[in-house]
Amino acid sequence: MFRPIIISDDICKGCNKCVDICPMDVFVPNPEKGKPPIVMYPEECWYDGVCVYECPLKEQGAIKIITPLPMRVFLLKGKDSA
Amino acid sequence: MRFNVIPIETDVLIIGGGLGGCIAAIKASEHGLNVTIAEKANTTHSGSAGNGIDHIWAYCPSVHGKMGWTINDMFEDHKQAYDLVDKDLFYLVASTMYDRILDLEKFGINFRYEDSKIPGKFRIVPQFHSVPTSFNFDGRDIKKKLTEQAIRRRVNIINRVMITDLISTDGQISGALGLSTRAMDIYFFKAKAIVLSTGRSNRLGRHDSGIDFEWRAPGSLSGDGKSMALKAGLELINMEFLTPSTIRVRNYHQTGGPSGGVATWYPASDVIDSSGKIVFFRDYFYDWKKYFKEKMDATESRTRWLKAIPLHRPGLTKDEYMKVGPLYGGCSKDATDYEIDYIRWSNSNEGKCYRFATYHLDQEMNFNWAKDRIELGPTLRELSSASANGVVVDKNLETKLKGLFAIGDEVGGLPWSAAPGAVAMGWHAGEMAAKHAEKENSFLPVSKGKLESLEELCSNMLSSKEGFYWKEVELTVQNILDLNCSDLRTEAMLRRGIDLIREIKNAPIRAENPHELMRSLEVKSVIDNCELIVRASLERRESRKRPVRFQRVDFPEQDDKNYFAFLALRLEDGEFKFSKIPIKH
Repeated sequence: MFRPIIISDDICKGCNKCVDICPMDVFVPNPEKGKPPIVMYPEECWYDGVCVYECPLKEQGAIKIITPLPMRVFLLKGKDSA
Repeated sequence: MRFNVIPIETDVLIIGGGLGGCIAAIKASEHGLNVTIAEKANTTHSGSAGNGIDHIWAYCPSVHGKMGWTINDMFEDHKQAYDLVDKDLFYLVASTMYDRILDLEKFGINFRYEDSKIPGKFRIVPQFHSVPTSFNFDGRDIKKKLTEQAIRRRVNIINRVMITDLISTDGQISGALGLSTRAMDIYFFKAKAIVLSTGRSNRLGRHDSGIDFEWRAPGSLSGDGKSMALKAGLELINMEFLTPSTIRVRNYHQTGGPSGGVATWYPASDVIDSSGKIVFFRDYFYDWKKYFKEKMDATESRTRWLKAIPLHRPGLTKDEYMKVGPLYGGCSKDATDYEIDYIRWSNSNEGKCYRFATYHLDQEMNFNWAKDRIELGPTLRELSSASANGVVVDKNLETKLKGLFAIGDEVGGLPWSAAPGAVAMGWHAGEMAAKHAEKENSFLPVSKGKLESLEELCSNMLSSKEGFYWKEVELTVQNILDLNCSDLRTEAMLRRGIDLIREIKNAPIRAENPHELMRSLEVKSVIDNCELIVRASLERRESRKRPVRFQRVDFPEQDDKNYFAFLALRLEDGEFKFSKIPIKH
């Protein structure tokens, strides 16, 4: 069901920094060297964003976390009353 | 399936490489001993401080002394606000934390700001006491910096190992066992001294959002240390204080949130209702000039502060919220640009608030910090720092097992110990552990009994065809806690809860690989923590008001005469034993 972590096949070089540091151990390295890691346990993601923070190619969009819908804030836009 | 047993001898073993564990390792290494950190994830980003912290409280003589506010005044604040407080632990943390800030600075963490009007150029804000004691700082990368320091000091860091058992010989700690979370390895440690620092116990329930693992605290914190301490026959206190949910940001759980100018949204956030009326008020930057001029009256300050807390903090239960909501938090209408920038800066340093503020709000939700509001909602019941639950230690942080020390959120008795508890206790325990290790000429003999049990347990899980997946067991025990040991507790429901938990303990679990073995073993820790919570709740035959908000329907009155005490549970020959530890002030 959940796909919180999206890794771009074109941009990621498989350095596996995210695999090394993930506090929840959700990644496994790709058996093929240089290929993006596999998100083996997406439902165990804690949404800390450390994988994005440390990705050497984050500016290029190698890895992204999409906040699941039930987790998103409900905003009151630009008003002081409902 | 066979495990590869890796024997390791180390003078000082630190179990848990979080904030406290890294500090303990750094301090212990000053003695030239062999120091090892065993960490379940990776020390650069593990534990409650893994994503950064933006505040840490301390008594600062050059600032607080100048105001005429003493450390005894601070203790009085702490006692009156947070109920059951261990005096020795408080003084250890309060009296040494400022020195630890100076140490953190040496490790490359910035605490000084040109625009500050406070001596030392610190940014100190009110949070836990009647006067500002929380130092705001650039703590985003604190774990990376501490890891760097540990490596520089030749601390041996073993990441991706979950410690499962403590081993003792003749009343003294002698070793530990750990399972690799990624390989078929079991680590068999011999150690002369051990510091236990696995953090708070999370994984006890699920949020209303329905998204698992999106707690405020990390999902890896399964209370492993408390489980190990229990199995080793040690006493644990305050386990009954599973504090009721409170109101913060709806859906997205992190440690901050706009709720009356407190914490990461200090000083300029408030909470409005749907008519736009302010229901929880903003705070303001502290008037330091005034307090440096006039000698302050600590009693007056405390009285005013205690009265004002409910005006700022929406400490509402879910039921209360349903009557007065919807409520919306955000920067106050009169917040200045400087104040808004300060709030965004705090958020960018504090744990999950970093991603919450800089990615979710800024990018995903296109949030306008000056104009938009965030709907508030209930958080989850948790064993947070406020609950001060954990292992009993003496004033040198040693447990009843000689050579075993515990720190930070692992320790019971100091509400809101949080980051200062980890750092100040970590430093002290690192020193004590090193001194203990120095006295030992050799390693004690370590029995292989627990190793064989762990191998058997893990092999059974790997070969189980009909066992349950770890998640099924965790959901079940969370459900039991949710109903039988919830915001309202009774003897009958608690007793039933204990019976149900005992049945779940025997549920067979299957696992396919080391990662799933780790999760399966974590569930066993979660079950132990849940059983402690229910049993301790049974022993506290009274109710207590805020902040712990412990409610026994069958004992609705507060009974300080009998229960102004820490309630301790331990295992002896497989049976739970209870005792009361009176609180001496």
